[in-house]
Amino acid sequence: MAIKATFASQRRISVPAALAAIAGLVALLPLIGVVAAALFGETADIAARDVFRYAATSAWLALFVGLATAVLGTLAAWFIVMHRFPGRDLFAWALALPLAVPAFALAYGYADLFDVAGPLRMSMRGNLGFDLPFGMRGFGGAVFVLSCAFYPYVYLAMRAAFLNQSVNVAEAARTLGCDGWHSLYRVALPMARPALAAGVALAVMETLADYGAVQFLSVQTLTTGIVRSWSVYGSTVSAARLALPLLATAALLLWIERRGRQGRTHESGNARWRPLDVKQLSGSQGWLAAAFCLALVSAGLLLPVGWLLWNALETNPDWPRLLRAGGHSLMLGLMGALVTVMLATMLALGTRRLPMAARLASLGYATPGAVMAIGLLAPAGILWNLMPDSGYGIAIALLVYAYAARLMAAALEPIDAGLTRVTPSMIYAARSLGRSETSSAFAVELPVARGAMLTASLIVFIDVLKELPATLILRPFNFDTLAVLANNYALDERLEQAGTPSILIVLLSLPAVIWLTRKIAFSRPGA
Amino acid sequence: MALRTFVTTLLGAILLAGCSGANEDTELQEVNLYSARHYDSDLPLYERFTELTGIKINRIEGNADQLIARMKSEGTNSPADVLIAADAGALWRAQEAGLFQPVQSETLTSRIPANLREPDGNWYGFMRRARIVAYDAAKVKPEEIDDYAKLAEPRFRGKLCVRSSDSVYNLSLVGALIEAWGEKRAEQWVSGIVANMARPPEGGDRDQIRAVGAGVCEVALTNSYYYIRMASSDDEADRKLTQRVKLGFPSLDGKGAHVNISGGGVAVNAPNKANAVRLLEFFASAEAQSHIAAENNEFPASPDVTAPSPVDSYSNFTANPMGVAAFAARQPEAQSLMSAAGWR
Repeated sequence: MAIKATFASQRRISVPAALAAIAGLVALLPLIGVVAAALFGETADIAARDVFRYAATSAWLALFVGLATAVLGTLAAWFIVMHRFPGRDLFAWALALPLAVPAFALAYGYADLFDVAGPLRMSMRGNLGFDLPFGMRGFGGAVFVLSCAFYPYVYLAMRAAFLNQSVNVAEAARTLGCDGWHSLYRVALPMARPALAAGVALAVMETLADYGAVQFLSVQTLTTGIVRSWSVYGSTVSAARLALPLLATAALLLWIERRGRQGRTHESGNARWRPLDVKQLSGSQGWLAAAFCLALVSAGLLLPVGWLLWNALETNPDWPRLLRAGGHSLMLGLMGALVTVMLATMLALGTRRLPMAARLASLGYATPGAVMAIGLLAPAGILWNLMPDSGYGIAIALLVYAYAARLMAAALEPIDAGLTRVTPSMIYAARSLGRSETSSAFAVELPVARGAMLTASLIVFIDVLKELPATLILRPFNFDTLAVLANNYALDERLEQAGTPSILIVLLSLPAVIWLTRKIAFSRPGA
Repeated sequence: MALRTFVTTLLGAILLAGCSGANEDTELQEVNLYSARHYDSDLPLYERFTELTGIKINRIEGNADQLIARMKSEGTNSPADVLIAADAGALWRAQEAGLFQPVQSETLTSRIPANLREPDGNWYGFMRRARIVAYDAAKVKPEEIDDYAKLAEPRFRGKLCVRSSDSVYNLSLVGALIEAWGEKRAEQWVSGIVANMARPPEGGDRDQIRAVGAGVCEVALTNSYYYIRMASSDDEADRKLTQRVKLGFPSLDGKGAHVNISGGGVAVNAPNKANAVRLLEFFASAEAQSHIAAENNEFPASPDVTAPSPVDSYSNFTANPMGVAAFAARQPEAQSLMSAAGWR
């Protein structure tokens, strides 16, 4: 009887699958717009040699940032979860803080701090007689700055993964003589591979899509080409075309990640959830671990933001305007988080049988904002023409939609990871108790994934606060956000004034980041 | 949080947002401004316009090309009345996209010199910005930089700082050189500049001026107002730097320094056309030009507007009379030429 019912339900389109199809279409619409824009119209006159150079720079940048974030994020998570050392409880959440700093703000801070004509290097030359052999403007600087900005994605994912490993495995490994570092790369790391892949995928996609930071650091990537073909040659067609390799790369990454995961689900139905064996690091080892964490937090937050803050102190900010912009940022962040997470949940719940198709909806994350704007302008144009004088409400709705399409990956990854904790046996249990597919989705899967949904909303909230290109192009009249103000000042080369809105973004994100990390700390079953 | 709570909260938020927009008094006189100028100092100017005319300004600021793309998507329903930009090239691209309508206004034609506006009245320049040279006064004599051609000569091998080729100000300058000299000679000049670069292009104009101060290079191409802003800055280090780094006005073919504009025009589908023209006329007024000159350190477009301090000490230069519309159209050509020569 039960078997018959299962077959019957496979022939009909179930409610979750239908919802997922809608959510997927919503997220894909702007991308379809991009591909359509790439096919028709006049192209710009960008030399193939330049495009090749841009593409190579993008590829190298993604590779190095991917490697650096993987190593830094994993090490930090390993220290925090598996060891005890001075300051560990503080670092546990402080290590995620750079997530709250927009990459472009990090770039502003670092480029200025290490500028050859900046006060730091001027006084070094004047007083010490030597100069730093490097600046931040250049490829190395870009790798450094973007790694500082994006390692928290890996750190958060790996921390959750390490926390949720079963003691059995670690103990079994130890009886086989595998301890310390060995247990990291022979046992814990292979088991945490899906989390590592998810974290690194986010970091790499952010890197590929970044324009603000690399532009400020004078590194020319594919996004430079995109902006040039649009701004100089006025060709959105070429801009969209240049984005296609980025989309293809992102699709490839997602596919590799999926392939790697196949047949590697570790169902831990009989896992034991005793507290993890935490190793006490003694003396110099402990201080080394603390120094490593401190260095990461300093590089990702304290140093660049401190420098911006120091410069901002000299200015006289327009507080009423900043507060209004802060209110707008907050409102958009909350609405963006709600809608994106709702859509991502629909997608994740309904498409567990077509994971790759669902993942295409993540591609918006790797799409440079300028290109996403091209894709969004098409559906927006239809709305604008259907509803003239629509004004504020429509503009806000469009913006929230833009965030959902652009940030879907940031919500989909954690929710999907959360749903993997729903074991097949749980579903079978629900179905054998007479639940339909839809009803078991709502009764079993959704409650299990509730924590993941909260995580996802916090990440999207933080991302919306930092979002720039879609906000710039779709916002209604007389409507600034903090990111927009920071960008305006930086464009006008008024770095001191760009500091205050940047710091306000950090402050607004702070509670979300702290909440996020605390939640992960308590995510271990039985904790 | 349950799904239902998500949905209700969201719908509530959107409704609220929609209502607050819909409640606005439709009888109010307004003008919708799309602005690629993003200077805080423009805000009091908008308030002043409202005070004088009773017309409220709604503004969206953004990158010129995104504003242009948005206007295209909005089509005939676009609420935009006026588009302003800080570069002639952007105004030309908007005109090419068919986004402006020609405006004939006695006030505008009498106040704005013919070379600073589009011949058919599609757009008008209100402020001027010269693209000139900051130089190390200890190492460079003024007569060594009195002509753009000299910047490309071997005298400055490895001694010149300049930002990247996609800066609209560089594109307009090279566009002007193509217009004056033809493509071949402009290409040679660009190659000379690339050979003279002290470092690969990085940073903005202010960074180039600072690099001259730090001894990285002897000359740098910059827009006038960045230098003037540093010279009159609250920051002591910036002021001190401008005592050693001086501002020179090279000439193009002996006719004066390259001048770009900040300006705007009336949108082709402007729903409030009369108000839009009044706004343009206000930008052309002596009061508005003086305000922007004082706050953002650009030069006034009208010859009868005396530049206020601190701009006055620099405004006594010869400006090249080339029509801004002529070089604006040459930006794509300029970009191709610069990329081919290796100007990143």
